[in-house]
Amino acid sequence: MINFILMVNKQGQTRLAQYFQFLSVKERMTLEGELIRKCLSRSETQCSFLEHRGYKIIYRRYASLYFIIGMDLEEENEMAYLEFIHNLVETLDKYFENVCELDIMFNIEKAHYILEEMVMNGQIVETNKTQILAPIHVLDKAKDE
Amino acid sequence: MFHLSQMDQIFLKSLADVVRTSRTTSQYDKLTFTTQTIADIKNEIQSRQESVRYQALLKLFFLAMEGNNIRWAEFQIINLMGSGDFQLKLGAQLAAHLVIDNQSQGLIMVTNVFIKEFKCGHVECSTTLSCLGTIANKDLSDNLLTHVLKLTTNTKPLIRKKAIAVLSKIFTINPMNISGNLEMVIQQLQKETNISVLACGISLFCSVLKVAPKLYPLFLSIVYDQISKQKSNWLLIKLVRISNKLISLEPRFQGKLIEHYTRLLNQTNSKSLQYELIYSIMKYFKNHSQLYESAGDILKQFLNHQDPNLRCLGLECLTHISTSAGLMEFQEQILESFKKSDYFSKLQILQLFKDFTNQQNFQTVIEFFLKHSDLESNHKIIESLIFIITKDKFINVDDPEKLLLIYIPVIAQKIDTIDNAIRFKEMLFELLTRVPGLKVYSDQLCNQILQTYATQSDSLQGPTLNIVQRHTQLKYSLNHREIIFKSLIMIVGESVKLLKLEALTNIIQFLEQLNILNCYESSLSDIDSLLFKIYIQIIKTDPQNEIIPQIEQLIKNIYNKLHNISIVKISFFYESLIQNKSKDQLQELQNLYEEDLPPINLEAQKFIKPPEGLDLSKSFQIDIEEIEKIKNTNSEYIEQKQLIQQQQQQQQSDSNQKEQEDQNNQIERRQENEEELKQFNNKVDPSPKKVFKINRDEELPPGIDQNDIKKFKEEE
Repeated sequence: MINFILMVNKQGQTRLAQYFQFLSVKERMTLEGELIRKCLSRSETQCSFLEHRGYKIIYRRYASLYFIIGMDLEEENEMAYLEFIHNLVETLDKYFENVCELDIMFNIEKAHYILEEMVMNGQIVETNKTQILAPIHVLDKAKDE
Repeated sequence: MFHLSQMDQIFLKSLADVVRTSRTTSQYDKLTFTTQTIADIKNEIQSRQESVRYQALLKLFFLAMEGNNIRWAEFQIINLMGSGDFQLKLGAQLAAHLVIDNQSQGLIMVTNVFIKEFKCGHVECSTTLSCLGTIANKDLSDNLLTHVLKLTTNTKPLIRKKAIAVLSKIFTINPMNISGNLEMVIQQLQKETNISVLACGISLFCSVLKVAPKLYPLFLSIVYDQISKQKSNWLLIKLVRISNKLISLEPRFQGKLIEHYTRLLNQTNSKSLQYELIYSIMKYFKNHSQLYESAGDILKQFLNHQDPNLRCLGLECLTHISTSAGLMEFQEQILESFKKSDYFSKLQILQLFKDFTNQQNFQTVIEFFLKHSDLESNHKIIESLIFIITKDKFINVDDPEKLLLIYIPVIAQKIDTIDNAIRFKEMLFELLTRVPGLKVYSDQLCNQILQTYATQSDSLQGPTLNIVQRHTQLKYSLNHREIIFKSLIMIVGESVKLLKLEALTNIIQFLEQLNILNCYESSLSDIDSLLFKIYIQIIKTDPQNEIIPQIEQLIKNIYNKLHNISIVKISFFYESLIQNKSKDQLQELQNLYEEDLPPINLEAQKFIKPPEGLDLSKSFQIDIEEIEKIKNTNSEYIEQKQLIQQQQQQQQSDSNQKEQEDQNNQIERRQENEEELKQFNNKVDPSPKKVFKINRDEELPPGIDQNDIKKFKEEE
C-alpha cells in the first residue's frame, strides 16, 4: 500500500503531496525534508530504492523535481512503482503539454485531481492515460461553456 | 458571509499572484507574507461569491504544500463540499485529506453531503468516492456502506472501479461489514470485463486477506480464471501478488499455476512482471526444477544488468532462496555485482552472505570482501566478516590456523571503528579459548598486527571509548587501535608459558620502542603485567642465568623511558625485583607462581571483617597433631587434585612438544610469504598440517575432561 506520494524540488520545496495516512504538518515537513536530503545525496549509479523511517522509498528524478513514493515495508514490487512514477509523469505531460514545475504550482488542484484518478486508498486504480484524463477533459469543457 | 465590492475584487489576489509573491519574498519576510495571506484567505473563504471562495481554496492548497497548518479551515472546507458549484466542491474534496483525519468532529456532517453527491452525475460521484476513500472512518463507512455497494453495479466502469476501491477501505476499517457483502461483489467481478475494475477487485481481495485470511477459498477460482486469460501487465502483477498469498494459505494451488507462470515467464518483456514472477518462483516453487531454472536464468541477468535497480531487485529475490546451496549457484554473479553496487546494495549482499556462508565458500567470501572493501562500506564489511567467522561457534571455520595467522591480521589492519575493535577482541579471545593449540602463535600474531601500529603515529586519532576503572577511579580513553593492542598484550600474557625464549625476547624488544610507549599510554599497566609474566617465565626456563641479565637490561630501559612519560603508578615489580632484587625474593616468587592462583574479587575484602582477637601475623595452626589430623581427613581430596594436575601437566607438555616442533617448521615456511593478500593465490601448504579442533562445548574450558570432574565429585 502506498502511504504517500510527493513531488519535491531540489530546494526542498514540496510542490505536491498526497498522504494516504494522516500525518501532522510537523511530521510531514520533517519527513519531506529528510527524504529530499537523502535523495539529493544519492548519485545516478545508485538504485532508486531505499528505506527510511519504516517506509520503503522509491524515487525518480525528472529535471529539478523528485517524485517520491513511500510504501509499507512488506513485500511490494518496487519496479512496478518506479514504472508508475513514469506513468504519472507521462499523464501530467499529456495534459499540460510539456509539463514543468510551474504548471503544477499554478494548477495544483488539477495535478491533485489527476493523481486521485490514478491512486485511491493507497492502491493504483488506473494506468490508462485516456481513462485518467477523461473526467478532467469533461470538467474543462464544462468550464469553457 | 460578506460580499466583496468591485473595488475589492480588483485587488483580490489569485493563486498565481500568491505563488509569484512567495517566490520573490525573502526568507525574513516570509512569515509576514504567510500571516497576511492566511488572514486574507480567512476573509475570502466566507465570501458569497463562489469565484472568490474558489481562489481562497486554491491559495489554501498552496500554503499547505509550503508547510503551513491549515486545519483551522476544516469547517469551511466541509461546508464547501456541499456547495452548488462543482468546481468549488471538487476543490474542497481534493483539500479534504489535508485537514480531516479519523478523529475529526466534522465528519458527521459529511454523510448527507456524500449521499446527495452519489445521486448526481458520474463525474461528481467519482470525485466524491475518491474523497470518501481518503477520509473514511468507522462511522462514515458504516453509514455509507449500502450506498457504496449499490454503486458497484453502476453502468459506468469509472464508478464501479472507485466503489470497489472504497469498499476495500471499508472492509479493512470494519471487517464485520465483509460477511454478506463480499460474495455479492465477487459475483459481480466474475462477470466483469473492464481491466481497471478487475484490478480494483484484486486489490480488494488483498485487503480482505489481511483482515480475514480464512476467506481465501472465495478468491481461488476468480484469481485462477483471470491469470489464465489476462494480458495487462498491471493486472498480472496484482494477480501474481495475490497468488503468493493464496499459495501460502493453500499450497495445492501452486500446482495449478506452474503452466501459467512458465508461459508468462517466457512471453513477457516487462521487467516488473518478470521480477514479480521470479520473486514468487524463488519463494514457493523450489521443487519445480524446470520453472526454478528458468527463473534462475532471468535472475542471473538481473544480477549482471547495468541498471542498478535491477541488480538491487535481483539481490532482494535472493534473500528468499534460504539455502546455502541455492546461494552458491549465484555466488559469482553476486560477487561481481558487489563491485559495481552502491552502499545500500552492498549491505544487502553482506546480509546474504551473513545468512548463507558455509565451510565450502568461507575462504572465497573472506578473501573477496577483504580485497574489495572501500572507505564507505569498510566498517560494515568488517562487522559482517567477524559475524561470519564467529557464527554458531566458528562453524564455518575449517582451518583455524590459517584464520589466525592470515585473515585475522588483515582484518585487524582494516578496523577503523571502536565497535569493530571490540568485536574483534571478543572473536580473538573466543577463538583462542576454543582452540587451545593456537596460543602458540600468539607472538606471531602480535608481530604481524602490532608492527604496523608501531610505525604509524596516528593511533590516537579517531573516536574514543571512555573507560573508568572502578578500583582506581582512573579515567582514560581508548581508540580502536588501542583496544586491539590491549587485547593482544593480554593474549601474549596468557600464552607466555607456551612461547620460546627467543619469542619472549622479541616481544620485550618490540615493547621497548618509545613510540609504542607514547602512543599506548593507557595500556602501560597491561605492558607492566606482561613484562612481569615474561620475567617469571624466563626465570623458570633459564636456570643457568644466561639470558636473564639481557632481559633485565631491556626491562630497565623500558622503565627508564616510562619515567619520562610520567605514569601514575610505579610498578612494584620494577622497584623491588629489578632494581633491588635478591635471590630469596626471586625464589619466593617462583614458589608462589608454581600453581595457578584463583582470581579474587578486589571488592571482597570490604565485606569480610577479620574475626576479633585474630592476629594476622601469627601462624594460626601451632599444634602439629592437629595439622596431621586435617591432612588425613583431606588426603583423598589432595590425592585427586594431584592426579588431575599431573594429567593436565602431561597433556600440556605433550602438546607443547608437538606445537614447538610444528611451529619451527611452519615459521620457516611462512616467513617467505609476508605480503597481505597476495599470499592467498600462491599459498598452498602441501605438507600435512596439524588439525586444530574447535571446542564448541560452552561449558568446558579446554584441557579439562568432564569425566575426571564427575569421578572426583562422586568420590568426594
